[in-house]
Formats: sequence, structure tokens, C-alpha cells
Amino acid sequence: MEMTAPVATTPLRVPAPPPQGGRKGLATVFANRRRCRRSAGANGQRSFPLEGEVPTGRGGWWWRVPTALFCLPLLIAPAAAGPLNGIPVMHEEARTAGIEHAYRGPWEYFVGGGAASFDCNGDRLPDLLIAGGKGPAKLYVNKSTAGGALRFEQRDTGLKQRTLEKVLGAYPLDIDNDGYLDLALLRLGENVLLKGGPECAFEEANELFAFDGGNAWTTAFSASWEEGSAFPTLAFGNYVDRSAPGSPWGTCHDNALYRPELGEGTPLYAERRPLNPGYCALSMLFTDWNRSGTPDLRITNDRHYYRGGEEQLWHIEVGRAPRLFSRSEGWRHLTIWGMGIAEGDLNSDGYPEYALTSMGDTKLQMLDEEAEEDRPIYTDIAYERGATAHRPYVGKDLKPSTGWHAEFADFNNDGLLDLFIAKGNVEQMPDFAAFDPDNLLLGQWDGGFAEAGSEAGVALPTKGRGAIVDDFNMDGMLDLLVVNREENVSLFRNLGAKAEAGPIPMGNFVAVELAQKGPNANAVGALIAVKYGTRTANRSVQVGGGHASGHAGFVHAGVGTAERAEIRVKWPDGEWSPPYRVFANNFVRIERGAPEARYWYPPQ
Amino acid sequence: MKRALLALTAAALAVGSTLAAEPWHEGVISRHVDQDALSGTLDKAALKALRKRGEELFVGHFTPADGVGRPFATQAIVPTKRKRPPENAFFRSAGLDANACAGCHNLPATGGAGDFVTNVFVSEGFESADFDSLDPQFSNERGSNHLFGAGLIELLAREMTADLQRIRREALAEARRVGSAVTAKLESKGVDFGTITAEPDGMLDLSAVAGVDHDLVIRPFSQKGVMTSLRQFTVNALNHHHGMQATERFGLRWTGERDHDGDGVEDEMSEGDVSALVAWQAGLKPPVERTPEGAGWQAAARRGSAVFDTLGCNECHRRSLPLRSLSFADPGPLDMAGTLREGELAEPAFYDLALLDWSRNLPRNENGEVLVPLFGDLKRHTIADQEVAALGNELLAQRFVERNVFMTAELWGAGSTAPYGHRNDLPTLDEVMRAHGGEGRPSRDRYMEAAEDDRSALIAFLRTLVIEP
Repeated sequence: MEMTAPVATTPLRVPAPPPQGGRKGLATVFANRRRCRRSAGANGQRSFPLEGEVPTGRGGWWWRVPTALFCLPLLIAPAAAGPLNGIPVMHEEARTAGIEHAYRGPWEYFVGGGAASFDCNGDRLPDLLIAGGKGPAKLYVNKSTAGGALRFEQRDTGLKQRTLEKVLGAYPLDIDNDGYLDLALLRLGENVLLKGGPECAFEEANELFAFDGGNAWTTAFSASWEEGSAFPTLAFGNYVDRSAPGSPWGTCHDNALYRPELGEGTPLYAERRPLNPGYCALSMLFTDWNRSGTPDLRITNDRHYYRGGEEQLWHIEVGRAPRLFSRSEGWRHLTIWGMGIAEGDLNSDGYPEYALTSMGDTKLQMLDEEAEEDRPIYTDIAYERGATAHRPYVGKDLKPSTGWHAEFADFNNDGLLDLFIAKGNVEQMPDFAAFDPDNLLLGQWDGGFAEAGSEAGVALPTKGRGAIVDDFNMDGMLDLLVVNREENVSLFRNLGAKAEAGPIPMGNFVAVELAQKGPNANAVGALIAVKYGTRTANRSVQVGGGHASGHAGFVHAGVGTAERAEIRVKWPDGEWSPPYRVFANNFVRIERGAPEARYWYPPQ
Repeated sequence: MKRALLALTAAALAVGSTLAAEPWHEGVISRHVDQDALSGTLDKAALKALRKRGEELFVGHFTPADGVGRPFATQAIVPTKRKRPPENAFFRSAGLDANACAGCHNLPATGGAGDFVTNVFVSEGFESADFDSLDPQFSNERGSNHLFGAGLIELLAREMTADLQRIRREALAEARRVGSAVTAKLESKGVDFGTITAEPDGMLDLSAVAGVDHDLVIRPFSQKGVMTSLRQFTVNALNHHHGMQATERFGLRWTGERDHDGDGVEDEMSEGDVSALVAWQAGLKPPVERTPEGAGWQAAARRGSAVFDTLGCNECHRRSLPLRSLSFADPGPLDMAGTLREGELAEPAFYDLALLDWSRNLPRNENGEVLVPLFGDLKRHTIADQEVAALGNELLAQRFVERNVFMTAELWGAGSTAPYGHRNDLPTLDEVMRAHGGEGRPSRDRYMEAAEDDRSALIAFLRTLVIEP
């Protein structure tokens, strides 16, 4: 019921012009309608016990899917794009780069499959920790050179094998302000905080930080430095409570918030504050949706298991107990198979838009005209922007997609945000596309998106989960790691824009690293405004979101044809920096209070 | 070279045959130059044909049939839309302000400088794009520079940039290798650009860099020294002055439109058209030091040449800089997105300036390098101070370069390009020398204190630096 209204009404209500690239003709639309009717059955709803997807001994089936809910969006399927410009050539080279790693395991690992991208050895190149599911997570140190082929070397972490096993995802952040990035490992069972040290050394720090990792099935994480706090507040999102009676149905675990207390130079996370109710979170993100300076906590939840649940936004106010935004505050009821959250300011108005992945259509939320500073009313613009990405865009499989990690980024440096979505069948769900290629939706000048995944080379027959969008070889073009279930990861090197005679250079870019003295040295919560001409690219420094995957380090912005940009930083405490003048196609470090940005150059 | 063009005739340059081509056609672009036909080193005939087309485009008066006008775009170098057309398509301050390139660049010949009346009003074109005032709070008023020898200037700048960036690369590698900071002197062709300090972690301290942008790219063109290449300048100017938009910046790839300026003409200037303009400008022969008529002037010029050095003018106005190669790659190695880049072609075109007759007269040093007699250093300097501020008359910084800072004016051709100063408002050489402040102040003071005969001799010398059409 919850799903029907928004899905059914949105496309019919908005007689929007097609995004650039056009849509398929009417014949195809009605053909889809007929297919849906046949599939949906007499009552318009069917569900299937799914062989091979049932947890042994649990005595039931799961992942039942009301097919009809997906049919209406299929009727208005945005078609494959027409001729596009600036399609990135994404060259898959995981194995030649030295990464042999898959995310594996039984049904508990149907979800998760994340990675963390961060510099662990001080060379500013993004290294990778990749979740392994039942098997151990692995650390790969980046040995790439500027513009060259990607190259990684596996590095022994020195951690216990059992610590690295059962990892579903990971997020990097400097928890204890020692200048080394730490890691939050999301696990099936006890979550682990890893304290980072020099040269990619890690040690388990749950005891040091008085952190009880619990025993939940953790699938989401986010962190934020609350005002006045020396250390981050940590939020963990949990999935099904496997020990609850009747599990998995209606037995979502509550989520947890850990506010730091001051230890001897370290945080103490002794107090676990439940975020109740939990609705089977699969992604969470501290986000300053109204630019109030105080991030709230957005959680996307999997409607498959909750009962009476919905998407959530928690007030997280200093010194106060978390509380949910209510209907009276404008928060609208929305139930989806929420898998991942991406934040991006598509129209550079300072207020972020959100992509929410799901089964079937992706949501793209923008503040509604009725929204106010304290009223988070969002409207879905996915259809009018051509970003529903609800079924495979290549192949003959017209069943709904299953979306996981989502991330806005500018892959072709044209100044327009693109949207990457990792896709993949949960396992063998017959009502959903088996071949479900990842999406690379390129931002278009009319504000819409156009699919370029196939031409870009990311449409592989894999089951994507988490992902990292980062510049692994520091050439200014964003590369891509996709963590696949039961198959080797995909590691794509961005070679440039597609052209007949081979890749050609992309637009200009800037990459920005922030630093401030004292707590939160990496300025999590800051806003970076990259102004060039009359355009501004806004980027937020965050920990969280995506699907079980996080990134720390340089923040990238394409600036198109601009040779120069002026960068202003809204530091986490709300203070705006003066403008920093930066030449494009450079990596810069902005230290709070410094008169000029500093340039950084990667190894040649 | 992969593909030498042996028979690049005017016919081979033409594509887009649907365009009108009657002899009485009111327009300049009856055909587009095909960029795909330009790769490798052009032979003499091909270069001549391309330059001929470039000259036609340079002197031609663009018309609405060509796409003149930009009713829905501003003069900004980053494609920028406007909501409504300006009241007047042609407007002396904010533009359109010229019908042809040669409308301003014409003294003493096509490609030359311009009188005060040709001054351009430089604004970013993002805000107050339709300024209707000469008030310097809206724009910087600049004279039109001459373009003779521009190809050599760009080649010098490319080689100097390569030197500076090599120094940077080596300093960074050394710092990483030894694990401690490495300071390196930035010097190219004898010009000192300060120092950089590389940290072992790849960070660079640029606080001691002087006279060049922090990306260590020598941008030799414009009074301010903010244009990287003839190609970039051409694309900028075509839009600014004529509303003729080059596809390589204003076309489909970077704007999503083929008619970004909304004048009804798509793809107004092809990549090949711009190449033709670049080739013509790059091949303009450099100014010369002529032997004046009459023994008196000759003697004065000889004395003035010595005075030039004695006063220290040559500290910035270097008599010559050595150039290793006369092969002009187009596009060049330093342009960024929005100006055609070499990586966007299978192979760039090379205009071998040695094929041009004037190149035979260029002096060379013992290493075989061409000594380009530019009388400049391709470096920016502060040119005004508290007491001598006439050249600090602008209010707006331009592209990160402060208002009192300008590129050393190359003096070759000075005898043919009065008036002087970046606003073209100083009628004589004597006045512009007296106006030097800032880093030019010591030489200026020496000039002021010099004997009348020496000052006169100096002017006699400078007036031998001429453009010979």
C-alpha cells in the first residue's frame, strides 16, 4: 500500500518533457504494460518462495515481492540514451591491478559488500579496505602513479583473522584526532573500531574506546562531529534481528547512536543510545539537509522486513535525545526497499538532493516548494530527470532492477553531477533482473540524466553491492571500484571521454583536501563551494551513505572549461573561509586560516 | 609526422558545402576548414593555404549569416548564458565591439596593434555583463596588442613552461626520494621566476614564486599575461568581440547545444577555422630592428641601445630569448578543456615556422637556437607604486593577477605601435618610460636622471624596433 501511491502517481502527474536522449516509443510502452499485466496475475500481485534464498532452518521464504508495484514505472521506462558527450571510458583492470577479492557468504551477506577508500600510508593516494563477507576483508595499498595503470598491493593488516571476517562494510574517519584515519567495520556480529597508525598499521580499539560492538547485523554507518564535541558521534544501522521471534519478518533491529565522552585523549563510547524504531537500515547519512549547521541523520530502510516502517530522518541535536522528524514537521511517509543514499547538490542552490536506491525505481528527492527550514518536505524528481534507473538498460531482461550503492560524482568533469548506481540481483530472485548492470547516469545540460553505463563499459554481468568512486591514479578523472557478490571486484580506470579514435581528455577539475587544527582535522561536515563563472559546484565532506562504503581524502569537482576556480569552505562550525584562488587541474590542500591553498602533486 | 599534407588547397580546406558560397555572399564563412585534414607537419603549400584562409577570417567582417552576435550568451570565457538579449547587439563597452579581428589589429598592418579608439573593455562577463560605463569598476580598458611574432612568443612560453614544470617535477621526486624538503630555483632561458620548495609528501610551497601563475604555466598573451595560447585567445576573442562561438568551447560537448548563443546559427566556428586563424597569427613575421635613415639617427640609435642596457631596461625587456624549435604544434601542449587539446586529436598539426621566409633572417646562437628579439622576459611584474601609479590605473584584478601587475611588454615593434601603456593612453615612448613604477621604478628613475641626450638616444633606438609589413 505504501509503495503504490508514489509510484503510481508520480509518473502520471508529471507530463515532463523527456530528458535528453529521448524515450522509447509508445509501442514499447504498451508492450511493457501488457507484460506487467500478465506477470502480475489476477489480483495484480504475486510473490514467490525463492529457492536458494532461504536461510536454512528458518522455515520460511523471504524477499517476497509484489510484482505489480514495479509495473507502473516500467510503463514509463526512460530508454537508453541517444548520442551523448563525454562518456567516460571505464576500463576494468582489477586483476591486472592486483586485486583478487570477492564478497562472499550465505544469506546474511546478500546485503553489505562495501569498501573504504582512504590513505593509510601518508602518500595521499587512496588505499582500499574491501569487505569479504564470510571471508576476510583485505587491505590493498595503492601503488599507482599519476595517470598510469592502477596498481595495488595487498598488505597484511596484522589484525586477527576473525576481526576481518564477517565484515559487511567499512567507513574511514579519524575518530581519535591523532592524524591517522581509523576505520569503522560493519560486521555480522560485533562491530569493530580499528585505530589507524602509521604505514597502514591498525589495532582493534573497541576496548580503548570503550566501544561495545554489540552482536547485531550491521549494515549502515555514519558519523558526525556534533557542535562542541572533540570526537565524532557514531551511528550504526542494523538490519534484521536474527534472534527475535518470527525473524526475519517484522524483526528489524534498532539502530544505535554512540555519543563520545572524553577519555584520556581518546573518546569513550560507553553509552549506546538506541534509535528506536529501527526499520532494517541499509544506509544512513548525517546530512545538513537544511544547511542549519546541525546535520540530521537520514536513514534508508528495507521495507521488505519492516512492518509499519518508513524512511527516517532523525533530529540529532546537541545534548538532546534523538527524535524522529514527524509528519507534522513535513516528513512524508515513504516506504521503499532502501539500499543506499547518495547526496549531491544538483542545482547548486546549497541544498542537497538525495538519490535513494531501491528495488525497482530509484528515488531522487528534492526539497519541495512547501519545504521550510524546519520542514523537510521532499518531492521525487527521478522520473522527470530520467533517473529512475528501475530496470536494466541493456539486454532483454525487463524485470526490475535491484539498486545498492549510489553516488553522485562528476565522472567526465563537465561540471554536471553524474549518478552511479551499483546494481545486482539479491541472489536468485526470479522477479528481478538477473542481468542487472550498474548505472552510470550522466548529468545533462537540461538537468536530466542519460544512461551511459553500457557505452562506458560498466555494464558487466556482476552483482554489484558497495562501491567507491575515487581518483585512484590521481589523473583528475574519477575511477570506480565496485564490490561484487561472489565475484571478483570490478576496478574501472577512467581513461577519458569516449571518441572514435580512443579516449580523449575530459573537462577540467579541482580536487580539494581540507584540514583544520584540533578535533575533526579532516573537517567532516564542511561544505566546499567551488565557484567558476556563474556556476558553483557544492560538495559536502561526509562520513556515511552509499551502501556500506565510504571515502576519505580529496574531494573532486569537475569544472568543465574553466581554467580557474574560487573555492570557499564552510567549515564544520559554520565559519566561511575567504575565497581560495586555484588553477584547475590541480590537487589542493586548504588549511583553515591559511592565506592560500597549497598544491599537491602525485608521484609520477 | 603521420600525415604530411602535400596538397592542402583551399578546396581541401572546405567542408560544409551547404553554406552559401556565391561571390556576393555577405559573410566570411562560406566554408569551414576541416580539422581532420590537419595533422602532422604541414608542408609549405599547405601552410600557406591554411594561413591564407586564416587571414581571410582575420580580416573578414562577420555577419549574421556567419553567426555574428550572441543574444543569449555573454562575453565570458566560460560559456555563460544570458536570459535576454542585450538592447543593442553591438555595443562599444561590453561588446560586440568589432566586426573583424582586423578592425582593431591593424597598425601598421593587419595583425598589428590598434589606436586608442580600438581599446577593449575587459570584464569577466559573469556579472554586470552588459555594463554600459567606462568606469573602471566594471572593466579594465586595454589597448590592442600587435600579433607580429606571436608564434615565436608562444613557442618561447611553451619551452619555458616545460622548463619550469620539469624543475617542479624533479624537485618533487627528489624530495620524495630523500625524505626532506627540496628547494629549487625556477629559471628558464635566464629568467628568474623565484623558487619552489617541495615537501616529501608531495606538497609544494609556492610562496616564493615570482611572475608566473602557481601552475607554472607561462601565459604570454594579453597585457596581463593571462592567455596561454593563440588558440585560447582566438576562441575567447571570437566570442567576446564578434559573438562568433567556436565549437571547441561553446559547442555540444561543453554546453549541450550547437547554438549556445541563440542567434540561429549552429557550430559557428569549427576547430579547423580556429586552426586557420592560429596558423595565420603564428606565422606573422616578427618585428625587426631596422637601420634608420640618416647618420644622425643611426648614431643616436647606437647610443640609445647602450643606454637601454645602462639604465637597466634590459633587466625585464630582455633583448632576446633563445628558442630551441620553430615547430609550432596546434593545438599546443598547455591548453585546457574548452580550447582544443592535442589529446583530442590523433595528431596535432605542426606549423613549421622555418618554412616561412622571414625565419631565415632570425639570429641564432652558438647552439643553433633562434634568438627571438622580443625585448621582453615573458614574466609579470608590479608596474606601479605609491609615487608612480599611472600604470596602476585599473581596479579589477584579472584571473588572479593583481591590478598593478602586468606582463613585461615586448618592445619589438614599439616603433610602430604608438600609443603606449596598457590603456593606450600614453602617446609617446617618453611618457610610458616615465610611467614605470614598481619593479620598473629604478630604471625609470635612472631614465629621469639621465642626460637629455641619453633619453633622446634611447627613444631613437626604440623607434628602430618596428613592424615591417
